[in-house]
Amino acid sequence: MNTDFTDWLRGLGDDRVRALVAARPELITPVPAHVEGLAIRATSPSATGRALDRLDRFSLAVVETLLVMTAEDGPGLAYGELRAAMAASVLPQEAGLLPGALRAAVDELLGLALIFGPESALRLAPGVRDVSESPAGLGPPAVEAFRHHPPERLRELIEAVHLHDAGGEEPVPARLAALLAEGVIVERLLGDVSPQARAALEELAWGPPAGRLPNARREVSVATAQSPIEQLLARGLLAATGEETVVLPREVALVLRGGRVHRDLRPVAPPLEGAERDRSLADRTAAGQAFSFVRTVEELCEMWGVDPPGILRAGGVAVRDLRRTAQLLDLPEWTAALVVEVAYAAGLVAASAPVDGEWLPTTGYDGWRVKATEDRWEVLAAAWLAGDRVPGMVGERDDRDRLLNVLHPELRRPAAAEVRLRTLRVLASAGLGLAPTAASVRERLAFEQPRRRGAYRDRLVDFTLREAEVLGLTGLGVMSGFGRALLPAEASSRSGASRPGSAPAELLAPLLPEPVDHVVLQADLTAVAPGPLTSELGRRLALTADVESKGGATVYRFGDASIRRALDAGSSADDLLAMLEKHSTTPVPQPLRYLVTDVARRHGRIRVGTAGSYVRCDDPSVLDEVMADKRSAPLRLRRLAPTVIASRSSRAMVVDALRALGYSPVAESSEGDVLVTRADAKRTERPPSARPGPGPAGLDPDVVTAAVRAIRAGDEAHLARRRPVAAPDGQVPRSPSTGTVLALQEAIRQGARVWIGYLDSQGHATSRILEPARMEGGYLTAYDETRAAVHRFALHRITGVADVN
Amino acid sequence: MSDGPLIVQSDKTLLLEVEHEKADDCRKAIAPFAELERAPEHVHTYRITPLALWNARAAGHDAEQVIDALISHSRYPVPHALLVDIAETMSRYGRLRLEKSDHHGLTLTSSDKAVLEEVLRSKKIQPMLGERIGGDSVAVHPSERGNIKQALLKIGWPAEDLAGYVDGEHHPITLAQDGWQLRPYQQQAADAFWHGGSGVVVLPCGAGKTIVGAAAMAHAQATTLILVTNTVSAHQWKQELLRRTSLTENEIGEYTGTKKEIRPVTIATYQVMTTRRQGTYRHLELFDARDWGLVIYDEVHLLPAPIFRMTADLQARRRVGLTATLVREDGREGDVFSLIGPKRYDAPWKEMENQGWIAPADCVEVRVTLSDTERLAYAMAEAEERYRFCATTPSKLKVTEALVGRHAGEQVLVIGQYIDQLDELAEHLDAPVIKGETRVKERERLFQAFRDKEIQVLVVSKVANFSIDLPEASVAIQVSGTFGSRQEEAQRLGRVLRPKAGGGGARFYSVVSRDTVDQDFAAHRQRFLAEQGYAYQIIDADDVLAGE
Repeated sequence: MNTDFTDWLRGLGDDRVRALVAARPELITPVPAHVEGLAIRATSPSATGRALDRLDRFSLAVVETLLVMTAEDGPGLAYGELRAAMAASVLPQEAGLLPGALRAAVDELLGLALIFGPESALRLAPGVRDVSESPAGLGPPAVEAFRHHPPERLRELIEAVHLHDAGGEEPVPARLAALLAEGVIVERLLGDVSPQARAALEELAWGPPAGRLPNARREVSVATAQSPIEQLLARGLLAATGEETVVLPREVALVLRGGRVHRDLRPVAPPLEGAERDRSLADRTAAGQAFSFVRTVEELCEMWGVDPPGILRAGGVAVRDLRRTAQLLDLPEWTAALVVEVAYAAGLVAASAPVDGEWLPTTGYDGWRVKATEDRWEVLAAAWLAGDRVPGMVGERDDRDRLLNVLHPELRRPAAAEVRLRTLRVLASAGLGLAPTAASVRERLAFEQPRRRGAYRDRLVDFTLREAEVLGLTGLGVMSGFGRALLPAEASSRSGASRPGSAPAELLAPLLPEPVDHVVLQADLTAVAPGPLTSELGRRLALTADVESKGGATVYRFGDASIRRALDAGSSADDLLAMLEKHSTTPVPQPLRYLVTDVARRHGRIRVGTAGSYVRCDDPSVLDEVMADKRSAPLRLRRLAPTVIASRSSRAMVVDALRALGYSPVAESSEGDVLVTRADAKRTERPPSARPGPGPAGLDPDVVTAAVRAIRAGDEAHLARRRPVAAPDGQVPRSPSTGTVLALQEAIRQGARVWIGYLDSQGHATSRILEPARMEGGYLTAYDETRAAVHRFALHRITGVADVN
Repeated sequence: MSDGPLIVQSDKTLLLEVEHEKADDCRKAIAPFAELERAPEHVHTYRITPLALWNARAAGHDAEQVIDALISHSRYPVPHALLVDIAETMSRYGRLRLEKSDHHGLTLTSSDKAVLEEVLRSKKIQPMLGERIGGDSVAVHPSERGNIKQALLKIGWPAEDLAGYVDGEHHPITLAQDGWQLRPYQQQAADAFWHGGSGVVVLPCGAGKTIVGAAAMAHAQATTLILVTNTVSAHQWKQELLRRTSLTENEIGEYTGTKKEIRPVTIATYQVMTTRRQGTYRHLELFDARDWGLVIYDEVHLLPAPIFRMTADLQARRRVGLTATLVREDGREGDVFSLIGPKRYDAPWKEMENQGWIAPADCVEVRVTLSDTERLAYAMAEAEERYRFCATTPSKLKVTEALVGRHAGEQVLVIGQYIDQLDELAEHLDAPVIKGETRVKERERLFQAFRDKEIQVLVVSKVANFSIDLPEASVAIQVSGTFGSRQEEAQRLGRVLRPKAGGGGARFYSVVSRDTVDQDFAAHRQRFLAEQGYAYQIIDADDVLAGE
């Protein structure tokens, strides 16, 4: 372990260590025992990689420049030297921005412990070098490029590079590397080769630094070299790294680059480009889309509640079912897939059973449905934002050639939520009214996270842009005001949970079309609702008329069947007409009035009921007797006609009962009766695990503080500055487990010490003095003063907690 | 929130609130690219279809204008997807052009190579094409000019036909405007057609489409072939042309089932053109009989399929289609677009009504109740007998009588389908009856007497449908009818009930039996008429009898 780095880390103030672990939470998961442990963790390849992944292109360029310009164990680079090196790489027109940007970048890198040391000698943190392959598009240093060359070959090369050097020293790669690092020598060698050879080198100069060449390890010397490539191989300007690969050594590339590590480097993010839109129009368009999205989800749930699609054996919804759903929703399939996925993510639809089940709306849907539109939208949009599922891939095949259906379990990508959030942040950062092009959004993301680029991420960006428009986060490509409010605050802003400004639903509400409480009735038996209806009127109209067209307005059509439906639901013709009159801005057209009364006239003329059985007898007086007998009451008899009685009981029961009364009835073969019941829309429970866990929201500041305190304490003990203290005598009073957890949480928040009783792994009761640092996953990490070390304690073994004093 | 008069629906229909103060501006703005589908009293429904958008393109409108019209008049935000779709659809028109080249005859040219490649790969289109000329155009067999336009439309790349027209045989025709004047919109329609070269003029029933045809002929100054729906129409056209133009009896020929005259202006029926004998069309030579300079299609929405095929070969001649609606019940709007041409003129319907050019009639449906014994008999009747049974119920007699009584002093026509019923009615009403067997001379005498108001009530059978000299009436009572297409019935109604000289509205009663198929047919009629903006009312026979 590099003790310089550990010492530097130890020398940092508490606030800087806190900032470090807050920015790199993985460093205290779990909390290391001391600063050395922290240093080891910080320089591990995975942690270093993660930290580098978060850098923007400029900060990464600073790291790369340091990497190229300093040696592993070298003395480091002064800030001034670093600035000079960077200045050579920066775009001339943006050179003015360099000082500020560099200052910020260096501070950031020091804060992340990716570089360390004083201003006069900035050094790369250990481990950074190991995870940086081909920094700035440069090949390996000559030492590595020529490492596997046999000594005689190296000798030839050294000879070719520097004539006077033939004899004396060892033919080691380091010697050749040292020679190639001399700009003058390389320049001279370049002067010797043909123009074609030089052009080939220029190709490789700005990366990628490797090329393919058959029989790369051929034996060539300056004298025997034929082709341009052979001329280069003979002079060590190219190194063969495999049977068929050659690479441009880093030293040579730097000379070709004229000493610059980067070219056309931008100190700040490239500006977003795109069309300017009227902001209020964009907001209104987004709101309109938000409104229709909410409505579509509701429509989907209603549809699936009555006619649910089955669950495929592999999971998900069949292609055929998706197509049908898309048709019924009048949407393209990808949009329908998005609607389904968002409804799922929001917990509005779920599988009724893991095997042979159906996709049904959940009980949560019923709660969601009655909320205000803006709140409903917020639920959907938040679910979409946080989800790791990628609806855009529906219909594609995965790497095992399995079709990815909508709601398929494999339709998730770990990076989805992060890329989505980043993309939206870029949109939100665009000037008000600017609709950035997809290309410029990708460009910006490439600047922000150059190490996380790729076609896969670009696709996620494209999906996000497309879906944000459908959900109404953006309108005409511009981030809407309420969409902006939906984005969680940046992790770096320490304010925690409270969002700046208003909640998205509050911003959205005034933009939504106001519910109207009237319709326009027309003689062609239609009603036009010129906006979303108030829920009560909407419900009544939906019962009385069929929906013909949807959108900003709704067109309803009255017909025999729809009026009958309303009458069946218990309205009378007068109710209906009164309702229509009350809510119509124009007089009720005569044909409509006529239709309602005409249907009502016929309604209910024929009556149908259910009966378990009937009793008939040609002599009415016998039936009078039966009806009059009190003992026949349980049969629930009803006289339909003088000679017919209907009973709710079954034929067998009636026959038995009548026999008991002293009659001798005969069972009659019936033609069977039909039970008419309305099939209720079905519901299922939402699975408990439907919600994804908390995202990379950052750590609670209290946790960070406590963790740093524990590391410090552990470190002091580690350096033998702290001695174990004896635990107080006596037993710690037992406390209930909930009390234990609460007391420990309080102690973490306050930074207080506690006295606990603990059963060790052998079951012995012990007593400790702790400085609790972090509680997670059933364990408490704390500095144990009685042992002078940081330990993890299983919460269930803590028998009690008490104040130390 | 804007307060525009327009609401854009997700199914691409547009709802226009008619009473809104900006409704007129809005209507003007959207008419070029949206078809009026329904026009009941308060909210009109327009529909945006690809064809409507291409029509707009052909008329020189671009997507920007269309989108602007929607956004600026819409009350609610317009879905972005819809706007994108509109822009995309409109950009498809005109990427391909049919042009005339001196060296290669007819060519298909595109400024977009990818589109041309796509077209060249289409199996349906390949056989119509000749050799490739340079990178961006390809020769087309001249005989395929119509077919290729049809085929291109089908694959979504409608071609703009810029190949021009032959002039045809010259024939002087002028409008004889003595005592009448071309109405402004008729003039505009004829001019719009002429500048466009070929295309369709959309005017509501009763707006004088024949005169637009005559004006088009006056523009063309060439021999003209007129295709009409039936013989009655053919007569009407001839009468109108004689009255409105300089043409004389000798210059106009009728080419119908009975007469086969080919003259500088020839009127042929669809019927005769589509007559086949031994599998071949016998009268195709009519198209080549003269060097026609203009072809007029009356009632384009009824154009039968074989005429489309024949029209495909007539692409070098100027064509004008006349119709009240572009909506076809068979869905062949695309063929009208590619073979006859884009919409060239669309009348501002509401304006014409306000100016008094057209006057929709008042429609009243009178419902009679069948007696109990009749209901039983109706329930037991065979399916094919049912309509006749309920349509001829004796209950209708009394009601008709009462209605005639109510309009005493007005000219009343009673129209029916079944002769027995008509005879009975005539007896009750003490009115003469005209049916199939009535001699022509007697018929003419009765018509004249009706016109002279010597007779006030006339009972007519369905022969009236085909009789051109049927006099005008202010009241018509339909007691039974055919149950054909809704459009046919509405047109018949339009013919009987022209706007009156006095400006008073006409009234149309249909007497219908309640709770029977008669009522079901009436429901269709009601919907159609209400959608066309006719006032519609339903009353009970008892109310009529009670004199209310």
